[in-house]
Amino acid sequence: MSTLTVDDVSKYYGDVTAVEGVSFEIEDEFAILLGESGAGKSTMLRCINGLTSPSEGEIRLNGEPVNSSRSDIGMIFQQHNLVEGVSAYLNALNGGLSRTSVLKSIFQWQGRDDKKQALDALETVGLLEEAHQTVSQMSGGQQQRVGIARALVQNPRLLLADEPVASLDPSSAETVMAYLKKAAVEHDVTALVSLHQVNIAAYFGERFIGLRDGGLLFDVKRDELTPALIDDLYGDVETVGLADNRQGDDELHPESIGETAEERVEL
Amino acid sequence: MSQERGDGNPLTTYFGLEEIGDSQVEQKLTELKRRKTTRRLYTLLGIIFGGGLFLFSLNAVGFSLGELIRQWPEFVNALGGYFPPTTIFGFIPFVDVGQYWTFMIDAGLIFEFEDGTGGIFGPMYGKQIVGPGAMFITLAIAFAGTVLGVPLALILSVLASERVVPYPFNFGFRAIMSVIRSIPALVWVLILIPLGGVGSFTATLAVGIDTVGYLGRLLTDELEEISEGPIEGIRSVGASKSQIVSFGMLSQVFREFIAWLAFDLEHNVRVAIGLGIIGAGGLGLELNIQRRTFNYTEMMACILLILLLVGAVEYLSQRVRSSLREGDDVETEGILTILWKAPKRIVSATAGRGRDRDR
Repeated sequence: MSTLTVDDVSKYYGDVTAVEGVSFEIEDEFAILLGESGAGKSTMLRCINGLTSPSEGEIRLNGEPVNSSRSDIGMIFQQHNLVEGVSAYLNALNGGLSRTSVLKSIFQWQGRDDKKQALDALETVGLLEEAHQTVSQMSGGQQQRVGIARALVQNPRLLLADEPVASLDPSSAETVMAYLKKAAVEHDVTALVSLHQVNIAAYFGERFIGLRDGGLLFDVKRDELTPALIDDLYGDVETVGLADNRQGDDELHPESIGETAEERVEL
Repeated sequence: MSQERGDGNPLTTYFGLEEIGDSQVEQKLTELKRRKTTRRLYTLLGIIFGGGLFLFSLNAVGFSLGELIRQWPEFVNALGGYFPPTTIFGFIPFVDVGQYWTFMIDAGLIFEFEDGTGGIFGPMYGKQIVGPGAMFITLAIAFAGTVLGVPLALILSVLASERVVPYPFNFGFRAIMSVIRSIPALVWVLILIPLGGVGSFTATLAVGIDTVGYLGRLLTDELEEISEGPIEGIRSVGASKSQIVSFGMLSQVFREFIAWLAFDLEHNVRVAIGLGIIGAGGLGLELNIQRRTFNYTEMMACILLILLLVGAVEYLSQRVRSSLREGDDVETEGILTILWKAPKRIVSATAGRGRDRDR
């Protein structure tokens, strides 16, 4: 049970405004951060994770400022950011580094509990069989699932994912999202995931936060998400000549995602 | 400037020193010719300078063809010593391998022997092994030296990396390794003689220092190449600074580290042979003793063992490195199968279908 509070946060890089005056609060939800490239999604997530600090405003996790609690926040990156030359198991084990002394971690003297937890996390993402495999030999989707496992081993109170499926094919993207949702639900963790595939977002999300030009455009529950809001978010697509491709597509199609992904992942 | 083509001196137009016309194309052509002339002049200067330097060098080392011709019979004589002739079955001419073998046993090149009837060879040859021979001393110098050098090489290479130590300061550590490398291992032995005397112990220290310089440098270069992603990944789980170094950085280059370690061991065996020649023991020492006494057959026996030793270490190191590469092309066949298939593989590799991923 945890609450993420983003309170009037702005972030400037010199004269450039990346995020301005954004406030929202999520509590025990699977929340999706939507927006175009450059809308401020990544900056928002990096601020929350403490990889950078906001210029103004405050971000709190359960009432405490986030920069004091990095290990409480599990981060999943678009490019996985795993150590490619070692096994999935060792990568998952790395999630527990903040609990382990340097010497113990170097000689892999983590307690049995930590090791079991790493394997448990791999089981959650359906990779127990592949635990010994070298990450560089895995597919992109599998690598991202190892990334989820590593984040789970942190015992996080908040899961952040920055475009976790942007570099995957549609089918792998759905599978990874399904495992991410499963991980968040099973471990009872609040999650904030930035995405740009609207259909995937609409299927998995419980809460939707839309950013446009660094500002908050909407903050709605699933049943309040409408195609009109999405159109607002991505602006006037017709001006770049994509109108033809969008014919007959002014509805959201979350149902197009569901069955296949759920068959693969037992939620 | 409105000359017709061919009006000017053919030589000056050829070298682009005279305009051949005033259209843009003609001007460009003249310019290109002029550039070519400049390039030719520089090439000519380079050849003259290089040739002069070569002649000066030959003179400085006292190179003379007359000397080669005068000494030729002496060398042919020595060749008879290097490869002592004999005949097999009384008529096929061949090298008398037995002489090499006898010397290897007598001088204890492979194992030190003593008269006795114990051990594996005792009952048959009347000699028993009492200790490792010169070959193993050389190997021991190389191996112990490498192991001694590794920790410092690791520490210095991490400290020389810009990600760990900020820019101007990391160059201090690079400079240390650079200084170590600029002094050859042969000279390190000379420097260390007051510390350890002339012998294998000093040679081992010298090899260790050499390893710090070379292995450290190779690792530094590997560490410069690593990607930022895993480092950010490890940082995001809340790891400490030293955990970020070992799990975000060093674990990215672990395979490369083992590969370079194997390569450096290989290099150090050669260094150890060189050190032997100036008195550090092992095969090199024995080689030098035989050279001084003009025992060419015995010299060749040492050289054959050197070939065997270096070849074996190189083979092992090559196997280690290739098995560390991506798992899909790990060699699973036995050595005989590999040798049997080698010609086919070489052909397919040179035909461009093989993958050249060796370092």
